[in-house]
Formats: sequence, structure tokens, C-alpha cells
Amino acid sequence: MLKRGRGIALSWYGTGYGNGFPDYSVATVELAENGEILLRVGATEVGQGSKTIMPQVCAEVLGIHSDQVHMICEDTREFLDSGTAAASRQTYNTGNAVLKASESFKKALLEEARLYLKLNSTAGLEMADQKIWLPIFPSRKTTFAELASHLKSEGRVLAVTDSFTAQTIGMNPETGEGVPYWPYTFNAYGTEVEVDTETGRVQVLQAWCVQDVGRAINPDLVEGQIDGGFVMGLGYALYEDLGVKDGVIKNNKFAKYIIPTAMDIPTIHKYIVEDPENTAPYGAKGIGEPTMVPVAPAILNAIYDAIGIRIFELPATPDVVLKAIVADREAKAKAAVAEGADANG
Amino acid sequence: MITLNLNVNGKDHRLEIEDHMRLLDVIRGPLGLTGTKEGCGEGECGACTVILDGNAVDSCLVLAAQCEGKKIVTIEGLETADGLDPVQQAFLDNGAVQCGYCIPGMVLSAKALLDKNVAPDDNEIKEAISGNLCRCTGYDKMVKAIKTASEVMQERGEQK
Amino acid sequence: MSTLKSVGQRIQRKDARAKLTGTALYPQDIEMENCVYGATVRSEIPHGYFTLDLTEAEKAPGVIRIFTAADVTGHNVHGVLFKDHEVLCARKVRRVGDPIAFVVAETQAQADDACALVKVSYEALPAVFDPKEAMKEGAPQVHDGKDNLIYHYKCRRGDVTKGFADSAVVIEREYVSPFVDHVFLQPESGLAYMEEDKVIVVASTQYPHFDQIEVAEAIGWELEQVVILNPVVGGAFGGREDISMQIHLALATIALGRPVKTTMAREESFYAHSKRHPVFMRLKVGAAEDGKLLALEAELHGDTGAYASWAINVMRKAGVHITGPYEIENVFVDSYSVYTNNPYAGAMRGFGATQVPVAYEQHMDILAEALGMTPYEIRMKNLFRKGSVTANGQVLTESVPLETCLEILNQAMNGGSEAAGLDAASSGTKAVPGSDSAAVQERSVTEHA
Repeated sequence: MLKRGRGIALSWYGTGYGNGFPDYSVATVELAENGEILLRVGATEVGQGSKTIMPQVCAEVLGIHSDQVHMICEDTREFLDSGTAAASRQTYNTGNAVLKASESFKKALLEEARLYLKLNSTAGLEMADQKIWLPIFPSRKTTFAELASHLKSEGRVLAVTDSFTAQTIGMNPETGEGVPYWPYTFNAYGTEVEVDTETGRVQVLQAWCVQDVGRAINPDLVEGQIDGGFVMGLGYALYEDLGVKDGVIKNNKFAKYIIPTAMDIPTIHKYIVEDPENTAPYGAKGIGEPTMVPVAPAILNAIYDAIGIRIFELPATPDVVLKAIVADREAKAKAAVAEGADANG
Repeated sequence: MITLNLNVNGKDHRLEIEDHMRLLDVIRGPLGLTGTKEGCGEGECGACTVILDGNAVDSCLVLAAQCEGKKIVTIEGLETADGLDPVQQAFLDNGAVQCGYCIPGMVLSAKALLDKNVAPDDNEIKEAISGNLCRCTGYDKMVKAIKTASEVMQERGEQK
Repeated sequence: MSTLKSVGQRIQRKDARAKLTGTALYPQDIEMENCVYGATVRSEIPHGYFTLDLTEAEKAPGVIRIFTAADVTGHNVHGVLFKDHEVLCARKVRRVGDPIAFVVAETQAQADDACALVKVSYEALPAVFDPKEAMKEGAPQVHDGKDNLIYHYKCRRGDVTKGFADSAVVIEREYVSPFVDHVFLQPESGLAYMEEDKVIVVASTQYPHFDQIEVAEAIGWELEQVVILNPVVGGAFGGREDISMQIHLALATIALGRPVKTTMAREESFYAHSKRHPVFMRLKVGAAEDGKLLALEAELHGDTGAYASWAINVMRKAGVHITGPYEIENVFVDSYSVYTNNPYAGAMRGFGATQVPVAYEQHMDILAEALGMTPYEIRMKNLFRKGSVTANGQVLTESVPLETCLEILNQAMNGGSEAAGLDAASSGTKAVPGSDSAAVQERSVTEHA
């Protein structure tokens, strides 16, 4: 028999290294010879999209298109240490370093423009689309490219570095008092599943993912993280087990270590909730890991809703679910017999 | 060593290869087309998918020697002077790429599907790419991208 | 903030085109002239001493040199927290898959074949595979002279005894989360070569500057003489935080003066990187008649296998997050990281916070049912809001839109036409639609109007 059920789960996730460890990020913004921007920042692109969103933050500050910002994160000689691309920390932590470095760079570039345009002050100078001008006397104007070639003629490079360190407080080892993480990212996910009580197979039919992001720097990429996190969570809940026995990994190939395929995915409804965090770059918090966190319990709670059976040990593979169904049936039968015996007695 | 004649991305090649080489080894080795990836070597992940005489195949499961005289399309063969293939363009437009390692195989499985069936439904799309594992994207945007490509190809077909 | 021009835009990914046309280069796609190839000999037993006989393997076709612990020129250790991994094990292995020799040959196939000819004689030691067993007196010691218990997180807030006594319902259950793998699609691959006085190591990593430190210390060179090149990374999810083959490659290219490359098969990849920590969770929660959570007690045993990697941070994160996003006055948590002779565990997406909701969120539903409430009601009653205080005494001062999230979820799952963001505007929160949510899109437009 096919039985349907629904379940929900909430979660929270503290991003960053945490616990008072100095979570330090640094970025360098540099004017390239052609007037475009080099963003030197060690936020490794692992597929999450750092090479797209870091330039967006820089471009926002400088009033240019992010295509004109070229991020360099591949060669340790070319950028400073910005920590690991993990802990969902790059958007918040390194994003802040990029924001600060971009703001400092903007100031420095305006100062270069002041000197070049022979002005008393940077007051009133406007910057947009790779141009800098004085609106009260528009002929006093220059471009990023012009400033770049001017700097080159003087044998100079304009590169500005700035950094950000997140605020956390090491916890008391006896009580846990402290600030283990900051900020936290929240979410509420729900699923609808169908359980085949003959085979124990669970199919997720629909998913609703409501994700707090602080602010979405790039909604396409946020949705991509939600999809990916949801599906990795689905595999965790229903399929994935290394089968470790006496230290040996029995399931060390894809034929045995089963991860979701396109056939296993439900319709994923995605909702992005924005509630900007003041200490974050434009309010944006990390979401890479949080998108996976509530998935397994949302599925397990839906399984319970469908068949009235709880799975306490992951993964809920067909054989595990079927065993639980049979055990439940037998327990109920026994209880019925006992009740019958009571009634007869 | 044996001699092998292949047409790869529209170009004829005559290669001297070792008999035990897999099609994948020939593509990545002598042909230098490293866009075709190896993810498992046993036909489970689909990263090495290429189009062989119109069908998407796992090139790690095909002996090169069996491909004498056949036509092969790899990811490097999709872009033309007119631009990206509609499948590539749709993946780009739909944000269906993350780490990218599964992408060449995924795109070629989708292309092989659409070349045979220009208007597949969701299930046909999912089935066609079910042999291509992706660990990052959750497939959702990929399915949407393939639908977009299908629409573009249908429009182009009508215009012809 | 509606003036933002770049932030908030659906900008196309900068790396997508190269990945779609096959021009993006992952380490396995890079070949160099005069390159030689390496393969790793790994332990087949979980715990024991060993000796090596290289005679046969050294005579195998194409073999150039076999590197062992004696060839490590700096410190034969690495590790993100503790330096408890050996670059190449010297005399003892602590898990199946420990690296014990690195064979370099003219081709990858020759290197792989020669690995099988390396004779390893083992003197097996008793092994332990269960973290609770490993904590007991007299359990096999995974690292000589070191306790298997490497971390104990404690949270003590309020008085749980009183909290449970005051509760209308107290539920206690045990939950288990198993070993899980990242299975990023791109298996480990890397190469190393010399550039004047510098050694260049090319490998997919999450943290190039840390790899630089680890390589430099292990080969005994100055930091500036080591360069890490991180080409395109084929997924990571935490599995590329620890060193896999980077140091082996550096040692080999320095010794041989030729570029050295290695690429792992999928089966080996499973042994080459960390796993998600299995966590054994005992959770006891008490609630009042109205669903208000009054006390929580939890005991978490995390199995970090043979090496610590991020075990301390992972089980700390598990211990902090086991309360769920809920206000609870009385909390008592013990979370442990323990060595065993299992595959080593480390970072994986969610990092301890992924395992614990399997317990706390199932528990919420069990409590709700016992109290005759809905899953929605019990969560709404207890969830963190602006101003909430966590079990660690941290005040959540802003950006806590959990109530909004749950409201949107509830509306979306139950009809959905009026879903999302209805009350949001007043709380300063804005719900932005996902691309497939027309209903919310309308709401969002209304808000902007």
C-alpha cells in the first residue's frame, strides 16, 4: 500500500570558526591597467559561487558591473590568506573583508582622482560606471582607465587591502557560557513523502524550503544551494551509508554508496527570507551548510506521519523501513492477542 | 597497438592506440579532449558521457577498439560559430552549473535526448539524465534548463 | 536598500561558461612534459605495526622510486587541529587506508601495478570501532600515549532536575547518524613540479594557504618556497580540508626533479578523505502541558575514527546545536569526540549541526503528539525570536526570522495561495519568492507597492 505523509523541521546554524577563534578574512582591491578591477581574495570557488558573489559585493561599492571585477583565488602568491572555504563563512566573513577593502579602495581612488583633476578635496566627487566626476563642474571628470594609465606612467599601482574579523567569545569549558557563533542562519523545511508499505521504499514527492539568508546577494545561487542542500539531505536521510564494518568501508563505489539521481528529486518549492544582519555585507549570511541541516528530520517526520513509525537510525533505506513496518505489525498483533486473552479471561 | 579511425566532433582522426584502451582514455589522452571527465570508471556516475553515433554512452565502459569508424561528439564539439549549443546556453541561463565536474556528461546526455525527442516531459528528462550523478545542484535547475533548451530547439525547428 | 544595483541581482556565474564548454581545468586535466606518476600503498588492517619489503616492487616495470616515512624530509605529520596524521606511516597504522608508501613510476598504470607488489607484513593490534567502547578503561589506544577521548563539550544551564520534575511530559530516545561520504564528483588528483627554488603543488583544495603551511612543515622548507595552485575544484563539502596527496607529490618532485602526478580511482577516494562523524545521540526533553520546553539533557558520542581532523569543532557544534532553535531554561549537554580505528571523520556540510536535528526535530514531534499539539504549534511556542537567549547565554539581537520562516512554511504547505510574508513587512522582514513561487511573487510585489 502507498501511504502519504508530511513533516516539518526547523534548524539553526552558527556560521564561521566560532568560539573566540580569530575568524579573519582579508581582501585586496586593485586597479588593473585597463581600468577594470582585480579582486585578490582567498575565497576558494568550490562550486558554491564565491567567484560570482565576491565581485558583486565589490561592484556594488564601486558602482560598476561585476563583470568588470576579476577575482583571483587560485595561486597562493597572488592573494593573502582568507581562511578556509568552509563553515559557511565566506559570504559573511570574507564578504565583509571585500566590502571593507572595496570601500577603502574607493576612498583611495577618489583621492587619486582629486590629485589628477587638481581639486582641493574629494568632497562632492561622484563615482559610477568606471567614471569619476564633479557634478557641480562636470568637465572635471576622469575614468578608471585614465587613472590607471596615469598611475602606470608614474610607475605606481593602486591596491588597497582591508580585513574583517568576526566577533565570537570562547565558551567556559565547564558551563558552555559564551558566544560560540555569530551570526546564525535559520530555516524551516517541509516535505511530503510516499511510503510503499510492501517494499519500504520512501519517495519524496514535494519539498518546501523556507530559507533565511539575511540578504540574498545572488538569488540564483541561493536557490542552487537550497536545491543542492536539500538533495544531499535527502540522500543522507534515505540512502547513504558507507557500511563500515571492522574499519572497512564496504560501500566504496557508486554502485553501493547510493546518492540521489534526478529520478529521486521532488518538486522543490523555494522561499528566500530576507532579514538583513547589520554586521554582514549588505546583510548577507552564510547558507551553504544550513540548506542541508533540516532535511533529514523533515523527511523522517513525514515518514512517521505516513505510517506511524519512527526511524531512529539513519539511513531509512527500504530494508530498514520494511523491517520497522513488520516489527510494528507484529507488536500490534501481539498486543491484540494479549488484549483478546484479557477479554476472554 | 592497433589503428583506429574515429570521427570526433566532425573531424576524422587516425590513431595508433593500445588494444586495451577505453574510449575515455583515447578521448582524454591522444585526442587531448579533457572536457570529458572520469568520476568512477565503472559506468555509475556518467561524468564520462559522450555521444556515440547519436547515443549517450559512458565512455569508460566502451573499448576504443569497438569504435572503428564511429562518430563521437564530446563537450568541446557543441559550441559552433553561431554560439553555444541550446543546451549549454540554457544551463548558463538557468544557473544550472555549480562545481561543474558532472556538467559535460550531463549536457551531452541532455543533448542526446533532445536530438531524438525534442519535446520530452519532465519524467523523460529525469530518466535521460538519471545516469549522470551530480552532487551539487540537486538537479532542479538542470531539469529546468533542459526544458528551456527543448523550447528553444522547438522554436528553431519551426522557423526552419 | 532598494538602491542596490549589483547585490541581489541574478548575475550569471562567472565560471559557468568554461565549465559548460569543457575548458575548465581540474587537476586531472593537466599534463606536463616529462611527468611521472604516483600511487599510494594503503594499510589493509585497522590497527597494527607493520614492516615493508620493497624488493619486488622496486624491480617492477617503470618504477622509479618508492617513498616511505624515512623519505619525509621535514616533520612526518599533518592535521588541521592536531598533527596526528603521518604523511607516510612509520611503523603503526591506525585505520584501513592509512598511507604507508608512495610508488612513483613512468605511468600511472605502472605505479598502480607496483603498489600490489609492495609486501606489507602486519603485526595486528586489538582495534576498537565504537566510540563508547573506546572511552572505556583498557580500550585499545589508537594513538600511543594519548587518550582516545579528545574532547568533551559541556553545557550547564539552569537546573534540569527541577525542569524535568516540573514537566508534564518527559521523552527520552536514542538516535544514530552513520558514516557518510561527500562523494564530490571529482576524485582527488594533483601534480607537483619545481619552478626554480620553489615547489609548486597543484591540487583541488578548500584552503590553499593552509595546505601551503602543511606542505612546508612536512618537507622542511620555508613557507615562501611552497606554492599551492588551486585549479577548478570539483565539489568539496568539507572533504577537501585535510591533506590527501599534496605532501607526497611535493616530496617526490623535489627528490626526482620531474613533475609528479597522481589521480585516484573512486574506490581509493573513499579512503583518501574524511567522513561525516557518526554520532550516537541520547536526548531527553521535558515540556509543560502547554508545550513550553522546560528541560533538555543530551549525550552525544562522536566517532572521529583514527584522526582528529575537525573532531573538536564538529562535536562542539553538535553540542551547541542540540537544543534546536528553541528557548530552554534548563540544559545539560555532554558531547564527546573519540578516536577509534574507523575511517577518519572530519568536516562535512553541516559539521555536527546536521546530525543533531535528526534527534531534536524528531523529538519535537514526539513531544507534540504526547501533548496533543501539532508539530507547528509546539515549534511556534518555543522557537528563537529576536531577543531570545541561547543555552550558551548568547543574546540573539537581530536577523532571527525563524517565526517568519515557519509561518511561510505553514501557509505554503497548507494551501499556499495566500502564502508567505503576510506579516513579514511589519517585522522588518521581507520574503522574496523562489523562482517557482508565483503566489509569493504577487505578495512581494504588493509589499513593494
